Amino acid sequence: MISAPDVVAFTKEEEYEEEPYNEPPLPEEYSVPLFPFANQGANPWSKLSGAKFTRDFILISEFSEQVGPQPLLTIPDDTKVFGTFDLNYFSLRIMSVDYQASFVGHPSGCAYPKLNFVEDSKVVLGDSKEGAFAYVHHLTLYDLEARGFVRPFCMAYISTDEHKIMQQFQELSAEFSKASECLKKGNRKAFANELEKKLKDLDYTRTVLHTETEIQKKANDKWFYSSQAIEKANELASVEKSIIEHQDLLKQIRSYPHRKLKASDCYPAVEPDCSQDQSADQASTTSKPDEPAETNLYRRRPSYTPKLIKAKSAKCFDKKLKTLEELCDTEFFTQTLAQLNHIEHMFRGDLCYLLTSQIDRALLKQQRITNFLFEDLFILDDKVVEKQDDMPLEYSQDKLHARSLEDCPIPKVLINVGSFKSSVESVLIKMEQELGDEFKESEVTESSVYDHQENLDYLDMDMKGSVSSGESIEVLGTEKSTSVLSKSDSQASLTVPLSPQVVRSKAVSRRTISEDSIEVLSTCPSEALIPDDFKASYPSAINEEPYVEEPYADDDGAIHFSASVSQQDLGEIEGSSENTLSQTDSACCIGKESSGLLIPNSDQTQKHCDEDGVVSIPPQRYREKQQGFHVDFSVDDINSSSQENTTEGLSPYDQDPNCLRSSRDLSKISLNEYGDSTSYISSAASTSSDRTPSPAHHIGLSSERHKKKAGQNALKFIRQYPFAHPAIYSLLSGRTLIVLGEDEAIVKKLVTALSIFVPNYGKSAKPVKHWVSSPLHIMDFQKWKLIGLQR
Amino acid sequence: MSTLCPPPSPAVAKTEIALNGDSPLLAATFAYWDNILGPRVRHIWAPKKQQLLLSDGEITFLANHTLNGEILRNAESGAIDVKFFVLSEKGVIIVSLIFDGNWNGDRSTYGLSIILPQSELSFYLPLHRVCVDRLTHIIRKGRIWMHKERQENVQKIVLEGTERMEDQGQSIIPMLTGEVIPVMELLSSMKSHSVPEEINISDTVLNDDDIGDSCHEGFLLNAISSHLQTCGCSVVVGSSADKVNKIVRTLCLFLTPSERKCSRLCRNESSFKYESGLFVQGLLKDSTGSFVLPFRQVMYAPYPTTHIDVDVNTVKQMPPCHEHIYNQRRYMRSELTAFWRATSEEDVAQDTIIYTDESFTPDLNVFQDVLHRDTLVKAFLDQVFHLKPGLSLRSTFLAQFLLVLHRKALTLIKYIEDDTQKGKKPFKSLRNLKIDLDLTAEGDLNIIMALAEKIKPGLHSFIFGRPFYTSVQERDVLMTF
Repeated sequence: MISAPDVVAFTKEEEYEEEPYNEPPLPEEYSVPLFPFANQGANPWSKLSGAKFTRDFILISEFSEQVGPQPLLTIPDDTKVFGTFDLNYFSLRIMSVDYQASFVGHPSGCAYPKLNFVEDSKVVLGDSKEGAFAYVHHLTLYDLEARGFVRPFCMAYISTDEHKIMQQFQELSAEFSKASECLKKGNRKAFANELEKKLKDLDYTRTVLHTETEIQKKANDKWFYSSQAIEKANELASVEKSIIEHQDLLKQIRSYPHRKLKASDCYPAVEPDCSQDQSADQASTTSKPDEPAETNLYRRRPSYTPKLIKAKSAKCFDKKLKTLEELCDTEFFTQTLAQLNHIEHMFRGDLCYLLTSQIDRALLKQQRITNFLFEDLFILDDKVVEKQDDMPLEYSQDKLHARSLEDCPIPKVLINVGSFKSSVESVLIKMEQELGDEFKESEVTESSVYDHQENLDYLDMDMKGSVSSGESIEVLGTEKSTSVLSKSDSQASLTVPLSPQVVRSKAVSRRTISEDSIEVLSTCPSEALIPDDFKASYPSAINEEPYVEEPYADDDGAIHFSASVSQQDLGEIEGSSENTLSQTDSACCIGKESSGLLIPNSDQTQKHCDEDGVVSIPPQRYREKQQGFHVDFSVDDINSSSQENTTEGLSPYDQDPNCLRSSRDLSKISLNEYGDSTSYISSAASTSSDRTPSPAHHIGLSSERHKKKAGQNALKFIRQYPFAHPAIYSLLSGRTLIVLGEDEAIVKKLVTALSIFVPNYGKSAKPVKHWVSSPLHIMDFQKWKLIGLQR
Repeated sequence: MSTLCPPPSPAVAKTEIALNGDSPLLAATFAYWDNILGPRVRHIWAPKKQQLLLSDGEITFLANHTLNGEILRNAESGAIDVKFFVLSEKGVIIVSLIFDGNWNGDRSTYGLSIILPQSELSFYLPLHRVCVDRLTHIIRKGRIWMHKERQENVQKIVLEGTERMEDQGQSIIPMLTGEVIPVMELLSSMKSHSVPEEINISDTVLNDDDIGDSCHEGFLLNAISSHLQTCGCSVVVGSSADKVNKIVRTLCLFLTPSERKCSRLCRNESSFKYESGLFVQGLLKDSTGSFVLPFRQVMYAPYPTTHIDVDVNTVKQMPPCHEHIYNQRRYMRSELTAFWRATSEEDVAQDTIIYTDESFTPDLNVFQDVLHRDTLVKAFLDQVFHLKPGLSLRSTFLAQFLLVLHRKALTLIKYIEDDTQKGKKPFKSLRNLKIDLDLTAEGDLNIIMALAEKIKPGLHSFIFGRPFYTSVQERDVLMTF
């Protein structure tokens, strides 16, 4: 029951807003604005009215003992970024408080200066008038020449969006802590080096002074000391004291609390100068053997020549303080800058995109069992991958493999390479593969995968989903008919939780051969997903095509099968592939095929990639992902996982990240990677207009300009061509789409337009080939989801 | 300081507060910038504890730090700025609200802070907005009172020709105490009864073998749909704590982990108070079978609320975001205005001021039936119960459903962003938006808009606000005739 007795007194029917009283009205500064966007032009996208900069940036400031708070550098290092924003004033504001001051100060009664290893402070503050809000990370570096040996610095992430700073606080904190640890680690090393040099100088000075004193003593035949001798003696004592002090400081910096080292996540994983350290002499105060590993940072460099110094260094304002780079060792400083650039890149842009991507990640992690259908698994584990980049190779590979196995609770599904069928008329496809291991592994799959009921359930789901986007055959659009060579699995056969092998063969056997040029979404299990209006709108565009079987095509044919196939497998292939290949009519504009499931061995693959201009090698990172993905779903890994879980061992194929696809790996095909169908559309299609819903914007990492252009062209495409629906449907459901045409410009334009519909079309993965004039290779269908092809 | 009164005593007043459960809060402080002495602490609130984690000296030290640097304060008129400190060296986090005000005739800078141990950082962060919103509003009221008191003092001095020697600013302290204690109680209750970050689907209605097993199908559909339409903000009331908590957990499945940590389960023995700003909260009915929701606090929640009664299976919802925000701000302005006009201290006691002012006529019918049906949740519920329970299939399906919703929300934002050139042009084509994004069902649009509002605050007001305000203003104008 809802009740509100506390507002019964309100029920008097009077005006809601305040009435004109005799008293002065409430000053606006004590009130709240009635409308969220009371200011002129204010809206959810507008910056604060006072904001003088347009995009977020990082500022590093120092509290200089000579000039006070001062900005040192910004990231990005471009004055346009912060515009007229007063960096000096803001530095003053963020550095005006020593948040790291200790409660009790320095311990009293201590003879020597003490280094206080303070932990970093993090502050979020703002300047509402300037429209600037900042996450400020305070840290302290050590400098032998600085007052109290400390140099306070801060790194600030400055934005106009206050909510962004608070909502990303933990992420910002974690990332800046890494940068800070990197700086501090470098600083400890540089500080220790500086101390060692100083100790050498002092030692040398002491020796010189001692010698001079001895000479004076010997020369002195009187029974009293001259003032010069006393002065020398005092100087010597002062040097002695200074040596003890500096030895103590060195000891302190070397005994940096181990707990803090453990907590830190600094990334120059391989310490610089390690090789030098091996041969370096020990400093005058030798380190203890049980000191933390970090102490090897502090070993003295061998090349330093000591010099005579004055016992008391002058503390004056005309001395030049060290730069941040000098304080931190160049390598660490560079690493820190790289990290800060990474932070700037990571958090730039609108908060809603950041939040959505974080939510996406979290939700995708919960969908591991189905992710392989639609998502790029590796988006999830970017951080892991990034970290692995910094790890030693073996460790990294170990982890990668372990993660892949952990992350993949689903049964692995093997698609039989030999069952591949192609269908393209004038599109030349080369297929080279090694099928030797496939049969064996199929057996392994069947015997090892489906042990649990849950797995069967998963399989049921997986197969439904994967086939709906993968194995059905579809040909869209069309001016001329094409003979089709195809293989398709019907949904009915896949709903039964059988082994993949069984499913596959069953599917093939149930595949009906149609006469028409285009087949058909109706055989696609995902038919249910196709809107009715779509099906009805383009009846003429959907025709079935006859197909001609052609297991091997020569140079003049469409498809080449050249592989090192074992006799046994060959027989199998011959048996099964008779029905797999067909050659399409050369006059046909639009053909289609089920996806290429032939995998050449790695050498061959590499060779083709190198030789064939059509097939370009995707970026390394993408390849690594592919490999990782493959590990997730290949049958062999199921097999090996059971062994490797106990032995902790990795096959040489898995251990080598540069091996894109070993022959062994390549013969095992992941369902979603190779299970796609391919659709072709012609760029010379009819131009009847069509109004379709605007496509959802794809949030990729490609350039804004490119995306805008693609967006505009996509809209034109949708409105211009009647087959826009099926074409986009093909792309979104994971099939490869080929745009055929004679005019390179038109084809490229179309490919660009359609590229925004390619799933996972981001910076790291661009499965789009804008223009190919040479025959397609079967590998192309694994790599590219959208291809522009010369007719 | 002003000549009106001498500088306040350096002695810091302290209020110890007895709480039922453990308080994660170490202390709250009120500090000000003294023009001679610099930052000074005026008052400390601390929970009564056997073991003191921070001494008064340490609290004072920390509170002083919150105002350090504020001599450079450069804020807009009336701004209440939030500063947030994580001082690892001290092992504390401090949340400070900094504002300018007139106290004892002097315009100065003040800071109201709460201090927590650093170990509570992840506990506190999801609750940051709730705490800040509540403290901000009490500061708005306190600032008015400080100003009024100064005026009264000046008048009295002029009339009597004498200076009031007693401490003038004390009356703000009880006012702040009136909000600091509830904030402490809120944090304490959240410590013991907050919804966990990860929810096991087996503890929810979605684990039933079939839809309708533990609650009526229509009720569940309405509850989830309305819950999503009101930005994930719901109040679940009932006589059985278990039943209430099952629905609370079910609704929390549709929230992000961070939002779950800002939700509260129902207590078995006796009900918690309603807390403004939580996403989902379970509340136990009293012996008479009712639970009274405080109108003011419901109005002050950042999002509209869905009211779900698990005893009678009713679902009611507040108006959409733009209307809620508009009503909220009108109510806030009215309350502050009433405060401004109040003549005595009794008039301004917490939650009583509104009774005395007859100029308010808020619409009491804030909770209405769920009018707009959706297809998204309906389709989800139809499908999810076809999946076998007990496996992770339903969780996966739910995750997929939420992913689609979030992506639709982002698409909608992007659509509006493009259509209006990032707000430079007014948005005119709602009909096109509905068609293009397949949100023709009003409930679907409401759900996606609500999700979008959370990641792009102000979207509702931007899209629907202007026509709504115009119509309300027209209505008001007409009513005056």
